[in-house]
Amino acid sequence: MEKTSGYDPTAGKVIIDEHLGHPGIKATTFDYAEINDEMLAMLDKPHPSYYLLLLGFLLAFGLGILSFAIQVDVGIGYSGISHPIAWGFYITNFVFWIGIGHAGTLISAVFYLTRAPWRTAIYRSAEAMTVFAVFTAGLFPLIHIGRPWLAFWLIPYPNERMLWVNFKSPLLWDVFAVTTYMSVSIMFFMLGLIPDIAVLRDEAIRRGKKLKALIYTPMALAWKGTNHQWVHYMRGYLIFAACATPLVFSVHSIVSWDFAMSSVPGWHTTIFAPYFVAGAIFSGLAMVLTVLIPIRAVFGLQDYITNHVIQSVSKVIIFTSIIVGYAYATEFFIGYYSGSPYERAIFYYRPFGEMTSWTLLGDNQLNFPQIAFWLMVFCNVFAPIPLWRWKVRNNPLAVWIIAALINVGMWFERFNIIGSSLQHEYDPASWGEYWPTIVETGVTIGSFGFFFTLFTIFVKSLPPMAIMELKEGTKPPVKNNVHKGADG
Amino acid sequence: MGKFTGVWGTFEFLDETTETIEQVRNEGVQPTVISPCPRHEIDHALGNPTTILPWIALFFGALGCFIGYSFPAWTASDWVLPVSGKPILAIPPYTIIGFELTILFTTIFTLVSIAMLGIIDSFRFPIPRAAKKYPRFQRDRFGVVVRCDAEKLEQFETIMKSNGAEEVHVEK
Repeated sequence: MEKTSGYDPTAGKVIIDEHLGHPGIKATTFDYAEINDEMLAMLDKPHPSYYLLLLGFLLAFGLGILSFAIQVDVGIGYSGISHPIAWGFYITNFVFWIGIGHAGTLISAVFYLTRAPWRTAIYRSAEAMTVFAVFTAGLFPLIHIGRPWLAFWLIPYPNERMLWVNFKSPLLWDVFAVTTYMSVSIMFFMLGLIPDIAVLRDEAIRRGKKLKALIYTPMALAWKGTNHQWVHYMRGYLIFAACATPLVFSVHSIVSWDFAMSSVPGWHTTIFAPYFVAGAIFSGLAMVLTVLIPIRAVFGLQDYITNHVIQSVSKVIIFTSIIVGYAYATEFFIGYYSGSPYERAIFYYRPFGEMTSWTLLGDNQLNFPQIAFWLMVFCNVFAPIPLWRWKVRNNPLAVWIIAALINVGMWFERFNIIGSSLQHEYDPASWGEYWPTIVETGVTIGSFGFFFTLFTIFVKSLPPMAIMELKEGTKPPVKNNVHKGADG
Repeated sequence: MGKFTGVWGTFEFLDETTETIEQVRNEGVQPTVISPCPRHEIDHALGNPTTILPWIALFFGALGCFIGYSFPAWTASDWVLPVSGKPILAIPPYTIIGFELTILFTTIFTLVSIAMLGIIDSFRFPIPRAAKKYPRFQRDRFGVVVRCDAEKLEQFETIMKSNGAEEVHVEK
């Protein structure tokens, strides 16, 4: 549809935007008031099953806290991480959750700059997901270091030890990358919320809900929607999007350098940065669908989160799945082509286990990274293939199942990278095996509980869709489509 | 902030709002417009107003970049840690810190500036208390606020009414 908005010098008139809205979003036929009402209805008192769901997530979170408390009490030795496997479940979870956190900023910033219209209905929830996922990820380095009360040693400040942190270390780059990403994600999320909280404030006042009005008034930061506020806001939003776009790509690149800068076989490779970034977008978008498809069904949001939106996300998933699959193959090829026996050994070990005999089945003793490898290949390379078919992409249940499988696959991808390489470094005398303890499993379950608790609270306390952008995408209320221009 | 003198009106339709804006501007007055969402038609009618925000962002981004390089360089010089033949001041790893702080400073000060510029504008272009409290501007109505001398009140009231304003309030 041609966009006709703007000043037409030949006609000497400003033409009102005839753009009927974003393709595929039926909500664009709603008027402003209807959008307000529909979004506010989502924040009404929840069904009792909501509390049951929340309780389930809280219990999982509680299990995580309990497990962590035991680890603090007994010591880090109570976890399965020990020599030679110093990074186990905790760093796997860290990388996994950072990856999940990539989709929100990708959708809100990158797709904003590239003007992908289908992002409107889902970017707020994806952004919230980013914030909560990065919160979750940020906990894992603290849990992993064993003595979290000394975590502040990572921060460069003048101290009695007369030492500075090592800025040449990839681990410190990670501190800067993750804290910057977390700060920017939170600010971007809050910035997007300001006009919508003003909507909540005014609707609470209009409907005589004094307590809500009292809560939302300070949160709205005196937003009135004047043209002066909008001009700063929209330009600021653009600056945020422009800053967040390279940040999305940098963060997981820097996380990948935690591995790639070391000389461990299977890690020391230049493909890691793009491979990790593609994997992060892949898993993040899969998590977006895993969470939003049930929300769409529960709240009846088919008019906003249409099949077109699900299909668009699915297409990006297909694209990133190809990149990830290609990266897997490249790793194996480079392992072979390098001529290094250590590289060749690790890429034999990952799929087939110990190289006791030169058979494809190895010694037939399954170990954890081996299970992880095959799950990774199945879930990340083969499971998304049905998405190539329109019929599958158009079926939310099928897409949801594939997205859930991708989440599983991406968790195991990170574990496969970490576990296998550390188990099988250079010297066979220092080889070892890793199995997680109950404490690590408890903390991992707790991290999912933490993430979903925060998200469940979010969908009932703040608008899960951007009211302002939905209005911007709909046809404006006009009486006579054309009016006299500003210059004449 | 002194007492507000002027006229403000509410509109249901966007085209009536932009028409009013243009007629008010033709009288030499720059109105303030309130809307439920940003509309570029309003920007066009207002003469495409701009903001100094990008310059603020650029300045603080450059400051963050400078700190990102200079702070690690200073700490490396403050406590020298020679590691084999590696340089004490290594630019490539500091690029990561420089990049991250550029982004961090830009975004923090952009957010702060949006708030500060909003506060400054509320003093430069005041709107009456009743307009601030009008509950449908965030819902489905547009507002035009005109600050003017007492003798021009009637003229602007007429402009608003003739363009289909739902409500017109004169503040003396």
